[in-house]
Amino acid sequence: MGENKQFKRALISAACTLAFAAAGTSHAANWLMLQGTEDPASAARANVWGFIQAKYEKDFSDANALGQYVPPKLLGPELDAQDGFNINRARIGVRGTGFPLDSRINYFVLLEMGNNGITHGGGAFAKMSDASVTLNYIPGARIRAGLFKTPGSEEGLQAIHVFDYINFSEATNGLLLERFPNKGFTDCTDTIPPCNATTGNVGPYTEAQLQGGAGLNRFDSPVGAFRDVGVQVFDAFDIGNDWEASYAAMIGNGNGIEFSNSDGEYDTYLYFSAEKKYGGKGPKAEGLKFFAWGQQGKRLIDLTNDTTANAQSHDRDRAGLGFKYMKKPFRVTAEYITADGMIWSGPDKPNFYFTQIAHGNGADAKASGWYVEGGWYIPKTRFELDARFDTMTRLEDRINEHQFDKWTLGMQYHFNPKTRVTLNYEIRDFECTVAGAVCTAVNNNLKGVDDKVGVQLTAIF
Amino acid sequence: MLKFFRSALLVMFSLLFVSASALAADQSLAEYKYVLHISDMDPSKQELILNNARNLLEAYPPGDVEVEIVAYGPGLRLMFAENVNAQRLDSLSQSGVKFTACGNTLKGMAKLLGEEPKLNPAATVVPSGIVRIGELVKQGYIYVKP
Repeated sequence: MGENKQFKRALISAACTLAFAAAGTSHAANWLMLQGTEDPASAARANVWGFIQAKYEKDFSDANALGQYVPPKLLGPELDAQDGFNINRARIGVRGTGFPLDSRINYFVLLEMGNNGITHGGGAFAKMSDASVTLNYIPGARIRAGLFKTPGSEEGLQAIHVFDYINFSEATNGLLLERFPNKGFTDCTDTIPPCNATTGNVGPYTEAQLQGGAGLNRFDSPVGAFRDVGVQVFDAFDIGNDWEASYAAMIGNGNGIEFSNSDGEYDTYLYFSAEKKYGGKGPKAEGLKFFAWGQQGKRLIDLTNDTTANAQSHDRDRAGLGFKYMKKPFRVTAEYITADGMIWSGPDKPNFYFTQIAHGNGADAKASGWYVEGGWYIPKTRFELDARFDTMTRLEDRINEHQFDKWTLGMQYHFNPKTRVTLNYEIRDFECTVAGAVCTAVNNNLKGVDDKVGVQLTAIF
Repeated sequence: MLKFFRSALLVMFSLLFVSASALAADQSLAEYKYVLHISDMDPSKQELILNNARNLLEAYPPGDVEVEIVAYGPGLRLMFAENVNAQRLDSLSQSGVKFTACGNTLKGMAKLLGEEPKLNPAATVVPSGIVRIGELVKQGYIYVKP
């Protein structure tokens, strides 16, 4: 009887210690904590910050036999040119404690004014990308509410201004950076039939057509930007021997950066990580982190090209696991991602996304991908060399299955800790993988996809 | 005679003991004495003042320098128990740095917060931080406000 009491006391004591005494205060590249919290009793009332990313890219892809181009051969978000300059991100934000004597409440606001999928969809000059408040009252369970990054993939969750490449991996871009169904496929209250208005793919277009104003980006909403409006419970714990465990559980509208939940369904997110901390702090803190995450949601779409309003829910599930090792002079990251449902097949094909019943539509398709990347911070210099291989297979087991493989070779020069220039060279191999007439037609366009070069200047302030 | 001599010795030792205690309390024997003052809201000042304290300890032989950090106003946040630099405070305190918190500021913060903020155990509360600085300067401390 006495031993049971002692065991129970020990268990309760251990649980309390974990919950109350071990909440992490030192966060190595822990994006949940870096983005959601402020340094206790030290943060400013209002810390103004931001960054600018200006880039030049050139795509060397060839037109198809008819002189036409498809989206992988053009530069986003307009998809009407193969080379040019762009301010792809220009963000300004404020973060802090609001009432500095009480560290238990933090806030984070960020506005995007660059030219990208956030501002392009809907034609906004500026778009709020983050607006959240974190309540740090319950030990072990911080609560963050508002619009913010969902807990998930490392490429999506990490701060973009410290991302080591100009473009995302194909799996992150294609499976996680969500494009939402156009209004014509979800809002069937309009009396003009059919409900899903567009019946054919857009393009491809010739150079003359593109220069004349034709564009291939036909999504009319901003991209999801790895964000959602909702509430998240999260925290990090020191669990001994320099290990830190983190978790996050979130529920959100499932509508990216738009403030509505028109389908009445909610997305749920779950995230775990465990990191061996080597030292340092902030985005480039050193450690070996293992992470796993999952997202579940539903999207409303009317797949039938008729006058009847019959939008139905389709699953949108994503999951991934990976690791990141960071200890100068080396960095290695690898992640595997799976996707079930709502697999889009190009910004020129929002209708294919919904209506190609012959091959099965993207709403019910599956996909997967992975990447491995590494960096070498050349000692005693300001140079860094990076290399990444990534691959994505979408519309798996369909007669029009696609596989996108890409090598990205990179070099960065760090003028100082807040300003750097990034040079990337992408070697791409995109194809429709199944023998047959369907893939033959697709490959007539994809086989011309060639290399791309880009240089980007990032200045953080 | 012997009795008188013994009594005199006892009185002398007692006086010496009291003087030494008084010295320990109010006057340091260190050759260099610094009072570092923080009253800023700026978070970077917290790190700066702790760096200053560390640099002073490293610049002089052990026992040759005395450092006291006095915080009042918004600067008192440095000595909150939850402060992100709490471990550095503990470490510096163990190395001999004194941390002094202003009681007036503490009262004011208690009114705003509805409860008195919990301080780092290394911090000692004095009635008035500004008065404490004045006392230390009068004792020959070098005043530094990073």
